[in-house]
Amino acid sequence: MGKGAGREYSPAATTSENGGGKKKQKEKELDELKKEVNMDDHKLSLDEVSRRYQVDLSRGLTNTRAAEILAQDGPNALTPPPTTPEWVKFCRQLFGGFSILLWIGAILCFLAYSIQAVMEDEPANDNLYLGVVLAAVVIVTGCFSYYQEAKSSKIMDSFKNMVPQQALVIREGEKIQINAENVVVGDLVEVKGGDRVPADLRIISSHGCKVDNSSLTGESEPQTRSPEFTHENPLETRNICFFSTNCVEGTARGIVISTGDRTVMGRIASLASGLEVGRTPIAMEIEHFIQLITGVAVFLGLSFFILSLILGYTWLEAVIFLIGIIVANVPEGLLATVTVCLTLTAKRMARKNCLVKNLEAVETLGSTSTICSDKTGTLTQNRMTVAHMWFDNQIHEADTTEDQSGATFDKRSPTWAALARIAGLCNRAVFKPGQENVCISKRDTAGDASESALLKCIQLSCGSVKKMRDKNPKVTEIPFNSTNKYQLSIHEREDNPEGYMLVMKGAPERILDRCSTILAQGQELPLEEEMRDAFQNAYLELGGLGERVLGFCHLYLPQDKFPRGFKFDADEINFPTTNLCFVGLMSMIDPPRAAVPDAVGKCRSAGIKVIMVTGDHPITAKAIAKGVGIISEGNETVEDIAARLNIPVSQVNPREAKACVVHGSDLKDMSAEQLDEILKNHTEIVFARTSPQQKLIIVEGCQRQGGGLSAPSLPPPHPAPGPALPPPGVILPRQAADMILLDDNFASIVTGVEEGRLIFDNLKKSIAYTLTSNIPEITPFLLFIIINIPLPLGTVTILCIDLGTDMVPAISLAYEAAESDIMKRQPRNPKTDKLVNERLISMAYGQIGMIQALGGFFTYFVILAENGFLPSTLLGIRLDWDDRSKNDLEDSYGQEWTYEQRKVVEFTCHTAFFASIVVVQWADLIICKTRRNSVFQQGMKNKILIFGLLEETALAAFLSYCPGMGVALRMYPLKVTWWFCAFPYSLLIFVYDEVRKLILRRYPGGWVEKETYY
Amino acid sequence: MARGKAKEGDGNWKKFIWNSEKKEFLGRTGGSWFKILLFYLIFYGCLAGIFIGTIQVMLFTISEFEPKYQDRVAPPGLTLIPQVLKTEISFSISDPQSYGQYVEGLNKFLKNYDSDQQASDMIFDTCADKPDDYIMRGAFNNAQGQKKVCRFKREWLENCSGIADSSYGYRDGKPCVVVKLNRVLGFKPKPPLNESLPAEVMGKYNQYVMPVHCSAKKEEDADKVGPVEYYGMAGYAGFPLQYYPYYGKLLQPKYLQPLLAVQFTNLTYDTEVRVECKLYGENIGYSDKDRFQGRFEVKFDIKSS
Repeated sequence: MGKGAGREYSPAATTSENGGGKKKQKEKELDELKKEVNMDDHKLSLDEVSRRYQVDLSRGLTNTRAAEILAQDGPNALTPPPTTPEWVKFCRQLFGGFSILLWIGAILCFLAYSIQAVMEDEPANDNLYLGVVLAAVVIVTGCFSYYQEAKSSKIMDSFKNMVPQQALVIREGEKIQINAENVVVGDLVEVKGGDRVPADLRIISSHGCKVDNSSLTGESEPQTRSPEFTHENPLETRNICFFSTNCVEGTARGIVISTGDRTVMGRIASLASGLEVGRTPIAMEIEHFIQLITGVAVFLGLSFFILSLILGYTWLEAVIFLIGIIVANVPEGLLATVTVCLTLTAKRMARKNCLVKNLEAVETLGSTSTICSDKTGTLTQNRMTVAHMWFDNQIHEADTTEDQSGATFDKRSPTWAALARIAGLCNRAVFKPGQENVCISKRDTAGDASESALLKCIQLSCGSVKKMRDKNPKVTEIPFNSTNKYQLSIHEREDNPEGYMLVMKGAPERILDRCSTILAQGQELPLEEEMRDAFQNAYLELGGLGERVLGFCHLYLPQDKFPRGFKFDADEINFPTTNLCFVGLMSMIDPPRAAVPDAVGKCRSAGIKVIMVTGDHPITAKAIAKGVGIISEGNETVEDIAARLNIPVSQVNPREAKACVVHGSDLKDMSAEQLDEILKNHTEIVFARTSPQQKLIIVEGCQRQGGGLSAPSLPPPHPAPGPALPPPGVILPRQAADMILLDDNFASIVTGVEEGRLIFDNLKKSIAYTLTSNIPEITPFLLFIIINIPLPLGTVTILCIDLGTDMVPAISLAYEAAESDIMKRQPRNPKTDKLVNERLISMAYGQIGMIQALGGFFTYFVILAENGFLPSTLLGIRLDWDDRSKNDLEDSYGQEWTYEQRKVVEFTCHTAFFASIVVVQWADLIICKTRRNSVFQQGMKNKILIFGLLEETALAAFLSYCPGMGVALRMYPLKVTWWFCAFPYSLLIFVYDEVRKLILRRYPGGWVEKETYY
Repeated sequence: MARGKAKEGDGNWKKFIWNSEKKEFLGRTGGSWFKILLFYLIFYGCLAGIFIGTIQVMLFTISEFEPKYQDRVAPPGLTLIPQVLKTEISFSISDPQSYGQYVEGLNKFLKNYDSDQQASDMIFDTCADKPDDYIMRGAFNNAQGQKKVCRFKREWLENCSGIADSSYGYRDGKPCVVVKLNRVLGFKPKPPLNESLPAEVMGKYNQYVMPVHCSAKKEEDADKVGPVEYYGMAGYAGFPLQYYPYYGKLLQPKYLQPLLAVQFTNLTYDTEVRVECKLYGENIGYSDKDRFQGRFEVKFDIKSS
């Protein structure tokens, strides 16, 4: 993860409401912010600046004044997004979701107990215990979720305060190093190469200062900073440095013109966090599901409450039924299961460099339909590298791979040696010290990006550049400037102790103009028309690849005119700079990361649109886009079509072009509708020369797309999937972001998508598994009330299933491998493809659950029959059965049972019903492994799942046979045969579902799929 | 704005219930509803069939004459008539209403023991008039038809038979309770070995009688209970063995279990008196949890006025 430079993904959502005045106001502010930055400091003269900020331009502020301003403006830091207090978070875990239902259950229990306590002398403690258990369940699961959340946010906090920034300010004429936080408006600040700019600065003096504004504009080309006012637009003018950008080389002094949130970056940061309105898709899915289940529970509970009152039960009994129904209906363990599943995936993703802060964001990438990716650093290596060379009238390809595994070229040509010498000598970049053990291409350098690229290239192919420079010491040099567009230096010759050599590099056409000969195979030949054409072709070709091309030439200075000791004067230029010998071209590019083309291809087959957003030049952008496959082979832009058909661009039907490169300046004039049009009609889009504000506009546009504009009659768009990339390097949104790519690698996004989709599938399976056992839990209560049989399954055993045996198997489904290539299907449609849909409910509740319930009831009837109560006797027996004073209840054989004796049998039935649910849940677990494939195709490779099967069985056996359970949980040992009662039903579930899946596969799109494929 | 949204929501609801465009009711067309309902009809039909099938198979494996397991019903419970809530017999001597329910309970229970109910010699066997050994009546099946049952004469309960005193002593503040041992099929109660028995029980020991003894629950209440009269077969305070084993409802539908009437002739009035009746026997067990296994407790609260 390098320097900890992360990129943020905020699963943002559009604001669907057009809310009240306050909201509108905020939107207006956002809109204003999206337009270009307003400031005029760059237009002022130095005196005016000095006056405005009341600062002495050489001595800086006084300490007292600085303290005053600090007190007035606050520290120079971005305001972190408002955090929710810990106790609110805790309460949210404690009272959110199903918890509230369980709390109601617990309160009803206590209520029932207190009523009983008042009415009877020896109240049964069942209700008290149950109430305590329910409350404990809620508190424990609440604490668990809270702990999970706290743990992941702690990881985040460790990122926050990684490096305290320092700044060099001049106050009262003294240079002092202070924390960047304490920098105030008006401070005189000095920055040098390698520093991060501590605030927005108006430059007052500079020495070869260059800044890398890529964190703000996305443009990786370092830009010169000097006191001159060069452009109306503050983002373009040279005399402003921006907060959080980096100074690459040189030094500069500037006056702080704004700090903290008032800086340009600060405003963009707040803009970016303003985008984050909606919740993650999975959060909405879970909420939808909770509402569904709660609705069912409340509906069933209330209707049976009323029904039992009508049937003549007492209030107390009705309340106890209500508790039972609530407990049976709420899958108590499910939310914990979901949390664990998401945590597991989050961990897995963290291993693959995707750090997930908010667990619910795990799935977000999975439902992504569009990825807007920044070019620099994410798609590319963020490292200028020499890609091609032209010498000996031939284009040679250099190795641009990250690990130097690529092709190499013939290095034996003497021309190459000359070219390498020029590139090494006419070059001011050096490696930073102390990196001897780092591989060359990854070393840090001081110097501008192209020179560093040359340095690395030469170091790689010819050995130490430092030695070369030592052997050919530099005598004089003319640094690059924008008027002559070349850089030259004169060196003592290593191979000739008497002579000097002049080396020059610069813009190729300018260099060529200065040359009269050309080096070919080590021979110096006159530069003829034919060679010029060859040069022109090569130059165009390399330029067309989006590469930055430099020309190189040299001249051995004649010994007679320039003997050793000659005083070269770089200002007077007392040496020849024309009639040089042209050696070759070298071109550089920030090459794509190795894994990116593959990743983009995966995204494409996964139906995800990849949009590249960059501050670079359109040609470079397009070349990179083609290189990584964002513009795929054979797809043309409007311009390409125009060029091919030889017609003006305006005559081309834009619909014909699938690819398109949009220039930032065009985007500026575009309306939202036009942007939507572009996003909708082109599959391959590149935005070039975009500012960060425009990036946000693009992201919003993408979110509108996800909302489904094709159906205007639909309600306001749902928050669209489509994680966006806010401007890189923005520190603030990282705290707000739900997901961080630790290595800035686009390939990590693809892993994220894959894991996200997998967890969505697996959560479905897990939920289907857990929900199924709800039916065998609730039917006993319903039949108990309706046909008056002894209660087949008690609340305690229900909790044992929900919180005991079902947990590990449900979690194990999170480890299930994908059934098919999940990266080959379209992203899910958040409107139609729900986590829990009616088909899942129909399968879980209507079909498998019913078979399970029958399995349980069968066991129940077997046990009672074998103990003397045949099924026919049981109907309507409940009143006598539960009558404490009836101690001679007759069974089918005429035997008489005391209350306690028959209760033991009843609780044995609860235990057996519970064991039967475990047995049928085996089959359920196996069928839930797959949604379409047969389990024979899928295999039983999931070791955790097998462990889950064993674990639930062992737990059930433990609960039944452990001595003392009869007292503690009222669970009794079962006779061995009773375990087998549910086996036929278990088998039935398996066979039924295999047949269903077979039909599903045989007749895709058929009725079975429409009704049962969840 | 919220209202606008609500309205929209209403519209969606209405549209969900009945979408006139697509002719959908609750999101499905008539045909779709028909198909899914038909599917569930068939599905549940099959399930019901399978369920009934498995239940039938299970019933095949079970004998109609004796239950498969009896480990939960034995050792049997000891119960009393009248059956009362929280086993509390509380009445006032002067108010016949207050003990009406007890008398009625006894009447109802003892009806089966009337001699006109025991007339048929086809069903009833005349067993010995004094305690005797178990009477085995063959295997637990109907190969020989129904099994005969021993007669039990209501008169043997004497003062508590309800024949002479239709109020079973309640009128005089000397309440009777009838004690019975819960029927357990095939169960042969074994009389106790004489060592460990209380002296009172030892006194009337008979090797063919399961002795019952009632006494104060707490030592200090002993004088409040007063003398206890036992009326059973041949004056024995217990259950004679010739009534066992029980052959079940199918083979002995008219089975009369031996009874023992217990009369408390001098209970202290106007206070709660807790009495425990206990059956002694080798294969009789007691449990802390089950307060009716092999013994029971009854609380008397008789108001003198």
